[in-house]
Amino acid sequence: MTVSTVGARAPRLTLRRRRQLAGALFALPAVALVVGLIAVPIGQAIYYSFTQWNGLTSTWIGPSTWTQAFHNPNLWTALENNAWLLLAVPFALGLPLLIAMLLHQRVIGWKIFRSIYFLPTAISWVVLGLVAERFFAFQGTLNSLLHFFGLSHVNTNMLGYESTALSALGITFVFTMIGTNTMLFLTGLATLDTSLEEAARIDGAGRWRIFRHITLPHLSRFIQLAFVMTVIALFSALFSLIFVMTGGGPGYATTTMEFLIYQTGFAQGDFGTAALYGLILFVLTAIVGIVQLRLIGSDE
Amino acid sequence: MSLDTPPVAPEAPTDRRARARRVGRGALFLVMVGVAVVMLYPFWVMIVDSLKSENQFLSGHGFSWASWRTLTSTIPIAQEVVSSTIICAVSILLILLVGLPAGFAFAKLKFRASGVIFLAIVSAMMVPLQAILMPEFVNITRLGLTGGYTGAVLVYAALGTPFSVFLFATYFRGVPDELIEAGIVDGLGYTGALWRLVVPIAIPAIATVTVLQFIQIWDDLLVGLLFIQNTSERPITVGLAVLAAGRTTSIPALMAGSLVSALPAMIVYLIFQRYLVKGLTMGIDR
Repeated sequence: MTVSTVGARAPRLTLRRRRQLAGALFALPAVALVVGLIAVPIGQAIYYSFTQWNGLTSTWIGPSTWTQAFHNPNLWTALENNAWLLLAVPFALGLPLLIAMLLHQRVIGWKIFRSIYFLPTAISWVVLGLVAERFFAFQGTLNSLLHFFGLSHVNTNMLGYESTALSALGITFVFTMIGTNTMLFLTGLATLDTSLEEAARIDGAGRWRIFRHITLPHLSRFIQLAFVMTVIALFSALFSLIFVMTGGGPGYATTTMEFLIYQTGFAQGDFGTAALYGLILFVLTAIVGIVQLRLIGSDE
Repeated sequence: MSLDTPPVAPEAPTDRRARARRVGRGALFLVMVGVAVVMLYPFWVMIVDSLKSENQFLSGHGFSWASWRTLTSTIPIAQEVVSSTIICAVSILLILLVGLPAGFAFAKLKFRASGVIFLAIVSAMMVPLQAILMPEFVNITRLGLTGGYTGAVLVYAALGTPFSVFLFATYFRGVPDELIEAGIVDGLGYTGALWRLVVPIAIPAIATVTVLQFIQIWDDLLVGLLFIQNTSERPITVGLAVLAAGRTTSIPALMAGSLVSALPAMIVYLIFQRYLVKGLTMGIDR
């Protein structure tokens, strides 16, 4: 790359242009990867959502594929399951907030406790799903606990019944999110100016008031981020748990949108409808994503 | 407590408060132990259940090494760990090779429309794989990349790139322009400035991306399940999930395999905990 310098001002201009060229070239591989493997497939999904498609040949059907899809009860069951699972979100945020507050008191050994609390975060949700299955199983820990507390006549089998399987999945989801969210909140608490709390305490403010008026507002950005991450995980990261724990059943009791896409595409071979379901999931997460972008954007 | 001992009286409340404080501390400690028990439960289940033979597991009595001794014949665990390691290493390398220059470009070498392109790449972070699963699967299959690791590695790299570009760009914004100018004046060129000046300062950011992606890819099921067709090239998480879903493999063997699969991610996690926290709160914590 040799640049001939003609006049006194020429090199400056070329330097600027060279920098831009270098920038574009440096960004190119990342752009290519994201365009080729994320952007193009979104476009394809839109096209294929209007076709009958088995992965090899596709026939154009038109918008009627969409009206047909919305008449499919399985889609509504999956959306309904996703909606019910949203009830787990307050717990997936509240419990970690409580745990972070406890850790923040810095009792003896809090650093060890912190490491222990975060440890499950490293484990695959496949493994956590396997363990959860043992917990909820007929001869599992839950029944042992119930018997221990004198409820020997109670025998649960939460994963075995349509009425309770989704709750079991939700409980497992809350457990899997505790580490990450606690980590977020603890980081937030660490940036809190303790002199503020101290001043409020001297002024006679009770614990609840300090929490409500000082701690909580300070944590709001962290809570927003945790909320967005939790909801996105709920929509797109349950696959491992469902695959291992229930396979979407009993019936369609634990089939969420993401699992319905997998089932429709790979169990039924209906690629077109699966692509269409994918777009619905895409819209759902995009709504949450816009919230997150606002959070990041408001920083600059 | 009589009234004619005034000097003691003022001390009594503080004494009581100190004791109340100590009791409070003790109660807090117990609560924390309780939470620790819950969080350690998965490990307890894996360890205890893996130390049983299938019969011992079914009857609920006794312990043995049987499941560990026969582990390699029940689950092709060594090959699966090798597969996982290769997939993780190549994917992360690709993410770094693509993400570092791009992050540098978006932060320091702005070009036409670079702001918009950056925003578009960051938005791609929000696209769940399931949303584009069908076209992605057909594309990769048509290209004939599901035979080895290539397809899975490409998908992991594409999914990991947006976050790494975002993180590196944010990090590089803090690097002074003068440093790069000086490098250019010294004749390093932009490539030289990137690899010799910028990358060495970016080690913490590189560590963050590496740790986050390692845990993400090591623990993932969906990509490995669909984009690696040969069972002899399956990563460990996929192997475990398929055996578990098949419901024919004994639970103790599955638990032993789970423990083996959990160990590397746990070790990485415990050593590099702080980089993980840094990555998670990137963008709001400053």
